[in-house]
Amino acid sequence: MPRSRPQGRPVGGLRGSPQLRLRIGFVVIAMVLSVFAGRLVQLQGVDPRAYAEMAAAEGTVEVVLPAARGDIVDRNGEPLAESVEGLMVVADPFMTVDRAPEIARFLARRLGVDYVETLTKLREDGSRFEYIARRVPATLATDVLAAAAERGFEGLDTRRDPVRAYPAGEVAANLVGFLGTDEALGGFERTFDDLLAGSDGSARYEVGGGNRIPLGDNTVQDPVDGADLHTTIDRDLQFFTQTVLRQTVVSSGGESGVAVVMDRRTGELLALADYPTFDANTPLEAPDEDLGSRAMQAPYEPGSVQKVLTMAALIDAGLVTPRTRLTVPGTLFRQDRPIGDWFDHGRIRLTLAGVLAKSSNIGTVLAADRFRSGELRRYLRAFGLGERTGVGVRGESQGILPAGSMWTEQTEDRIAFGQALAVNALQMTAAVNTIANGGVRITPSLVQGAATTDDGAEVGTETAVTSRVISERAAHQTMLMMERVVDPEAGVAPAAQVPGYRVAGKTGTAQRAGDGGYDGTFTVSFAGFAPADDPRFTVYVVVQAPTNGGGGGSVAGPAFAKIMSYALRRYGVPPTDTRPSRLPVEW
Amino acid sequence: MSSPAVQVRSRVPRLAGAAVERARLTVVPRARVQAPKVPFVILVSLVMLGGVIGLLLFNTSMQQASFAATALEGQATNLAARQQTLEMELERLRDPQRVAERAQRMGMVQPGAPLFLQLGDGEVLGEPTAAAGQLALQPVPPAMPEVLDPAPEVTIVQPPEGELPGDRDGRGDGAGEGTRNSSGDTGDNAASGTRGQGRNGSQEQSQQSQQSQDGPRSARR
Repeated sequence: MPRSRPQGRPVGGLRGSPQLRLRIGFVVIAMVLSVFAGRLVQLQGVDPRAYAEMAAAEGTVEVVLPAARGDIVDRNGEPLAESVEGLMVVADPFMTVDRAPEIARFLARRLGVDYVETLTKLREDGSRFEYIARRVPATLATDVLAAAAERGFEGLDTRRDPVRAYPAGEVAANLVGFLGTDEALGGFERTFDDLLAGSDGSARYEVGGGNRIPLGDNTVQDPVDGADLHTTIDRDLQFFTQTVLRQTVVSSGGESGVAVVMDRRTGELLALADYPTFDANTPLEAPDEDLGSRAMQAPYEPGSVQKVLTMAALIDAGLVTPRTRLTVPGTLFRQDRPIGDWFDHGRIRLTLAGVLAKSSNIGTVLAADRFRSGELRRYLRAFGLGERTGVGVRGESQGILPAGSMWTEQTEDRIAFGQALAVNALQMTAAVNTIANGGVRITPSLVQGAATTDDGAEVGTETAVTSRVISERAAHQTMLMMERVVDPEAGVAPAAQVPGYRVAGKTGTAQRAGDGGYDGTFTVSFAGFAPADDPRFTVYVVVQAPTNGGGGGSVAGPAFAKIMSYALRRYGVPPTDTRPSRLPVEW
Repeated sequence: MSSPAVQVRSRVPRLAGAAVERARLTVVPRARVQAPKVPFVILVSLVMLGGVIGLLLFNTSMQQASFAATALEGQATNLAARQQTLEMELERLRDPQRVAERAQRMGMVQPGAPLFLQLGDGEVLGEPTAAAGQLALQPVPPAMPEVLDPAPEVTIVQPPEGELPGDRDGRGDGAGEGTRNSSGDTGDNAASGTRGQGRNGSQEQSQQSQQSQDGPRSARR
């Protein structure tokens, strides 16, 4: 039986058995398939998304569609800050190193960058990306790149880099703030960043040879542009105010200054000037302390301007009238220290109007003695002292109004004429505006409409509220007294007069608190409104530490007059053509 | 059991015989109908060719459009950038500082108070005043470092005995001291302010501060 198969090996050797061949074949196939299966699990099971993205990225371009940052504009739509399309010029040193000097000379000439610095960057070893110039207007950058390509320079490229421009430079810079390289660093830019920034969109499409492939994958998410911020600032008035303020501070040898122009009827701030200030286009060149708004952030003792509030409160409480007769001694001895006046006098007889017109501390203290306990503090709170105005400026100081428990008789004496409390310039402006507005306080605002700050507060003209502080009659009588301040015979500040108009105002000269006491320098100020009998604007000018020996009447008064005169002229406010106040100042 | 089977068997042949007789099948003769092939081939070829060429043309035109779109987009970006640059330029020219400087260079001045002509009765409101002159528009140059600008040496000379020190504060100084509005000055003059509100500090201190204030003045004189 040699033919029976199961018994022996196939005759033809290993190759002979089809079954064995099949089996080996299956094993090989199974091995290959399990490798595939393993790879499949690796691709699909472990991290499918990354691989899918890698696959999609082949030939796919994703670009950011930048949202345009909103402008910051003044009340007439003039831009205070605007965004312009720009580019950054970057270099790949690997490609530029060979012709570095040539390219650097070219760039220095065309882009105005530093030659040596650029040369170093173009030769940077081991780097493949260097910034050459940032925030270059797009047209200039593309022109330069085209010219570079013409000359055969390689390794230069542009990237998107929007330019934030502040066309008016210093105008309102302290309010508007500025942007850093990538984020908002100060002022409105930062406070209202959410509103201004918008959100970037993106587009994703396949390209071939630099062109979009039609019918290829294509997704677009449209960008949402930032909204504009409308401020109540009047750019030209702000410029004028800043210029006059600078002139005033510099010519008086002062340290710093603030000037505020407020629309009496709406509480809108038409100008809020600070000096020293900075150019918003080059914020890094200015000292840090000049970058904020002193008007809001640096509280100071208001001095005699405060007397206006004291008198208004006294009249409203029915404790005095403008004709109340006071006998003012040369020195008033009080609990701890004697109180004196700025001018030497013996016993003089002044009316209340005279006390204000001559700015007598003693007279004010004598009148304020009539207040019942806690009454003055209540009035001052109602005038808005010791409370932030909340106009949307960062880091606003709330000032210092002593708490009820700290309110002693000595404190009250001093507060009556403007010491022992601290205010920011805007609080005082709003308080004086209360008198201009017939006793109704309007919360000031810097933003038209409404906007939400970065700490969630809603600010703007829509959120402005009014509250009655004193009666209309009391406000009118206080106004008549304030008019005597600028009278050449009766008052102390004839320089604050605006020709043709009735002006009511009050000077202030306060000692400045240094470390541990008064340091011998002064805060001089003038607050007032015009036309006195139908006010349109309230203006407040403060100069810190003038060194020419001037006071509120001589330093701040003329600045007040200039700013007020400009504002009245600009807004076409006619004189009221009525007779000025003739209240007696002596008896 | 057998009888029905026999019956069926006897009946079937009869029926089958008749059917077979009737349906005697013959092979249908192969009738070769020659349909004309050419039109069909041409049609199909045309359709295919048309399809291919159409697709090609469509694709080409799409590509063409895509090139055009890319080029136009680039142009639009350029033009938008140009517009923005020009607008920026315009804003720079409209900068109030620049306008004011140009105006003053042309000899323009700040007006005094405005006058209002009432159209109803022809009455003129306001007070005619002279122009207020020009504004100092140039910002102050930055301060020199102290090394380059040392403080002046000041020697304080006390006035001789028996001579009146004069009206140092307020009124007396006003005229000579660069404070332009002499009578208004006295309002809250610095030196006198020291005396007034300074009472709240110690008396000595305020006298000191007054002295130190007077010091530089006498030196300056």
